[in-house]
Amino acid sequence: MLKIVHFVLAVILVFPVHALALDGAKLLREMDRNLSPESYESYRKLINIEPNGRKKEFTLFTVKKGLDKVASVFLAPASEKGRSTLRLGENMWLNIPNVGKPIRITSLQSVVGGVFNNADILQLDYAVEYDVTGVREEKGELLLHLKAKTKNVAYDRLKIRLDRNRTLPTSIECLTEANMVIKTLYFKNVRDFGGGIVRPEVIETDSPLYKGYKSVMIMAKIKKRTFKDEVFTLTFMPNLASLR
Amino acid sequence: MSRSGWIIGVLLLCLLPSPAAAEESYVFDLSEIEKKPYHFSGYLEAKPVVYGLDDRAAFYQLRFFNDSHRRTVWEANGRVRLEGGYEKGPARIFARLNTDLQYNDKIHASEKTTFYEAYASVKPLPSLKIDAGKKTMKWGKGYAWNPVAFLDRPKNPDDPEQAMEGYIVATADVIRSFDGPLKTVSFTPAFLPVCNHVNTDFGNADTLTFAGRLYFLLFDTDVDFMFMTGGSRPDRYGVDFSRNVGSNFEIHGEYAWLKSSRKIVLDPSGTARRVETDAHRFLIGLRYLASFELTTIVEFYHAGDGFTSDEMENFFHLIHRGYGAYRATGNPAGLGRAAQLAESGYARPNPMRNYLYVRLIQKDPFDILYFSPSLTCMINTDDLSVSVMPELLYTGIANMELRLRASVLAGARDTDFGEKQNDYRIELRAGIYF
Repeated sequence: MLKIVHFVLAVILVFPVHALALDGAKLLREMDRNLSPESYESYRKLINIEPNGRKKEFTLFTVKKGLDKVASVFLAPASEKGRSTLRLGENMWLNIPNVGKPIRITSLQSVVGGVFNNADILQLDYAVEYDVTGVREEKGELLLHLKAKTKNVAYDRLKIRLDRNRTLPTSIECLTEANMVIKTLYFKNVRDFGGGIVRPEVIETDSPLYKGYKSVMIMAKIKKRTFKDEVFTLTFMPNLASLR
Repeated sequence: MSRSGWIIGVLLLCLLPSPAAAEESYVFDLSEIEKKPYHFSGYLEAKPVVYGLDDRAAFYQLRFFNDSHRRTVWEANGRVRLEGGYEKGPARIFARLNTDLQYNDKIHASEKTTFYEAYASVKPLPSLKIDAGKKTMKWGKGYAWNPVAFLDRPKNPDDPEQAMEGYIVATADVIRSFDGPLKTVSFTPAFLPVCNHVNTDFGNADTLTFAGRLYFLLFDTDVDFMFMTGGSRPDRYGVDFSRNVGSNFEIHGEYAWLKSSRKIVLDPSGTARRVETDAHRFLIGLRYLASFELTTIVEFYHAGDGFTSDEMENFFHLIHRGYGAYRATGNPAGLGRAAQLAESGYARPNPMRNYLYVRLIQKDPFDILYFSPSLTCMINTDDLSVSVMPELLYTGIANMELRLRASVLAGARDTDFGEKQNDYRIELRAGIYF
């Protein structure tokens, strides 16, 4: 009898943790799909804001396909127009029209300066790069702890605060392996973009490494669209704007 | 409450940020992203330069032999680059026109206007594109040098990101994508004719050069194989690769095999002879981003068909003898012969065999956004002469680029950088994009 009681107690104690771990992975995939369809096109404006209020803006057209293919082309300002970026899994390239050939870039560099780096601008699904290591409820939100699947990912750990009703992030803390905060992304202004896409329109970010600086990403015209795989190749990079 | 108390209270209420005011609103005007079938843009540049001359250097004596009191040259440079395109369905036309203006107190004013690119494209499928016209191909993975860029003009390693003039070609891109370790294959064939008024500076006349590049993205590594044949220039074959080995670390390399590469070398007495041999050129490099935002680019370049230290020394001695003869007799014939040899290869930016390139770029130091100081060193590892280039770049003003750069050359006599005409160069470059 005592053995049965111990077994039941053990199941009661262990099961919720196990169930939550499963739920965490499912929640992350759900969050990814709510943020964007698996394949889509969108327009984005990036604004870097300096402590004195001065701003620098960039406009990009972005296309994504499947889990690990994303590409962008700069539409403005004139100094950046025509530059394109491509990400295939952990590979990233930048094509500068004057320079002519795509060069490899790394996820921690930034093609726009400011707080956003290349991994933020060419973001894949979070579930592709991270495993959920824990889920708990805090202040009416869900807090997901994520760990990078490989050393090549820009941030070793993430802490995602999730609006449990919409399964959308409200903030994401990006941390190093030593748990030092590199930056925090704040997701704001949930908006209906049509086609069943309801997601935050604005992502703000700040960083203790760039005190007083802020970068903002505004989404527009995000919609489902499929592309041929050949679009996501180095050879196609100079022609990305033709997809608009 | 007294009247003054009310006033202070109202003022405090006005000064305290209301929740609505504290929340910043951002505007994304959708008219900004409206697509037009045509586009037009441009770049204007002003670049004053001062050169500090080295009157004992061979290239000074070659170029300033009749003006030997000169210690500095002041130069004003201007550049206008206009580009435009029109797109309809799968077809597109594009042109980039470049005008360089130069004024200095030696050669006075000069102007050169060139179409850098002007071509038509048709893209019937995402996997197929055909181009015809003047175009830069830009093959290779190296930053400062590209030994496999068979169809391009030589890059200036002092300014490798500058736009370049192309050649008239007919070319295509055929792309296939796959799942698995081999993600992409593409093939780029290219035909380059050399005949009357067409690509006359490429090589032998009345020839048709055929070249091609086969690209693979295999196991997360870019790999290209290239070839060029056709009689205009000696046949050549090449391979390059590039790979990210971490979130902040990239490696790359290039190798080219040139059949029957030719050069003119001098013996110690100054007698010239033509040498023809197969040659190897290779480059190996890396790009590393440190946690404190310092980007390091390191490249080592070997050109088997470059000149040896002895061959360069013989050339410098030819100039010194010619200069001595000019000073003694007023006859510039010896210098004229040296000038011809200079044009054949001795005066190109990196004429010798082995070079090490190191570039350090610090992003946003002292919390100054868009400010990038950098330091570039090019070392001739054969004779240990060196070129050092500190640079300050600021891009914080919309569509403007401000660059202050110096270049200091150091080396013993009879060395590559020690015999250049300058001891130093200082330039300010202000560019506006529109």
